[in-house]
Parts: sequence; structure tokens; C-alpha cells
Amino acid sequence: MPRSVWKGPFVDGFLLQKADKVRSSKRNEVIRTWSRRSTILPQFVGLTFGVYNGRKFIPVLVTENMIGHKFGEFSPTRTFFGHGGDKKARRG
Amino acid sequence: MVCLGVVTAAHGVRGEVRIRTFTARPEDLVAYGDLCDEQGEQPLAVQPTGCVRGAVTARIRGVDDRNAAERLRGRKLCVPRSALPEPEPDEYYHADLIGLRAELIDGSGGPEPVPLGPVTAVDDFGAGPVLEIAVDGGPPAMVPFTRAVVPWVDVNAGRIGIVAVPGLLGRADEEKAQGKPRHSPAAGRP
Repeated sequence: MPRSVWKGPFVDGFLLQKADKVRSSKRNEVIRTWSRRSTILPQFVGLTFGVYNGRKFIPVLVTENMIGHKFGEFSPTRTFFGHGGDKKARRG
Repeated sequence: MVCLGVVTAAHGVRGEVRIRTFTARPEDLVAYGDLCDEQGEQPLAVQPTGCVRGAVTARIRGVDDRNAAERLRGRKLCVPRSALPEPEPDEYYHADLIGLRAELIDGSGGPEPVPLGPVTAVDDFGAGPVLEIAVDGGPPAMVPFTRAVVPWVDVNAGRIGIVAVPGLLGRADEEKAQGKPRHSPAAGRP
């Protein structure tokens, strides 16, 4: 069953405060968080979060199409082994 | 050499094999010419026949029965790096990025760079490419592959510049960047 609409999206209060602080300071800073359960809100767009996966902080640069997802979705907790093959990475 | 796939199992009784591909699209496995082993020897003429459970099934010239196919299990299928087409500007092959020496730089172009460690992996978990750097004497660092954090990449020189953004690296790495000695438990708590 999905979360009731009247409650609004869930986000940990301390994360919201941290994000507001960094946004107002306009500093290029990675916000480290353990709150994988928090929803990505529109005011997080453009900020970079370090989302803990149990071992390390995975950098997540928030873009518009991530709004509504949880931070944990972008920080997998299981290791994937493979080769680069012919895959390319574009610098954002 | 760039590894494009690995033979994981025999498939059927007529000498077909199952191949796990590492290419962006599975059908590109044979797009760069004949595949060979990691030393660039023993070329194999691979002809894909279909897909099964996320892997490519293929027939290999000279392999006609299941026993011969099973002997190929674990065989890596590679192509020379020169066989891959040139990437677009600001686009890099994972194979080129892996192994570059990361250097921690000041965003304002101040003091000289501090060696950090080699790039060991390039991941994409849905929030853009992320470089994994094995920091010398510390936990691995994960760095977003963006212009703000990675202002320059010099593949020919084997170097990559990382801007020391607060909170990006572990505490030990930030201390290293500032030239502070690492805290050792034997020395007592600071």
C-alpha cells in the first residue's frame, strides 16, 4: 500500500536542515547522509549528497528526474563485479 | 586489451556457448572484429545465435560438440583497445579511465597536486558516472565524474585531477590533502 497523500513525502528533518544550510551558503559541498529512506525533494536539485551504502558514501548529484525517488535507490548495497567493455562515461 | 565478454557455460549439445557480455549493448560483442584472449592471441570467430537469461549464445568456429564448448568455460574474449572507435569530446571509455592516477588539486589552482591513488572502477548507479579511487593508505573514495569535481582528464599522461570538495573524501583523505599526519591508535586520541 502506498504512503497516504495527506502526509506528504517523507524526509528526515535533519537532512532537510543540512540541505538548506548548504544551499544558502552556495558552497560546492557533498552532504553526507545515512538517511537512505528520505525522499528527494525539488529543493535538493543541484546538490550533491554522499549516500551511505553500509561501506562507503556514494556521491549522488540530484537532478530533476530523481525527484520523488528515495536516496537509497542511487546507492546500491551489493557489489557488482564486471568489466568496462566498450562502455563510455560522459562527464556531467 | 579490452575484455568484452567471458564464456560462462556450454549451451546445448552442438557446441554452442553462453557468453556474458560487458558491452553497452549485447549485440556489440562482435562489432569490433575477431575476439581473442587477454594476450591478443588465439583469435576466435564468434557468431551470435541468440540471447538466453541475459547472456548471448554463440557458435564458435572449430567448436562442434559440447565437450569442446565446455573447455572454453572461463575464457575471456578481448579486442585491442585500438579496435574501439574514438569517443566523442568529454566522453571516455571506462577502459581508459581505469588505471589513471588521481591527483587532489585545489579548485583555485593553488598549490601543487597531491597524489591520491589509481582509479579502480567506473560505476553508474543511476545518478551519473562515479569514479572509484583506491586512496593510498585509506578507504576507497567515490567521486562523481562531473566537470566541477573532475576538471581535467589526461589519458595520455595517465593522470586525472580531483578537486578537494568538502565531504567528498574520508576524513583521513581530507587530512592528507591538508598535509596533516594520520591519527594512529597507538599515539592516543587527539
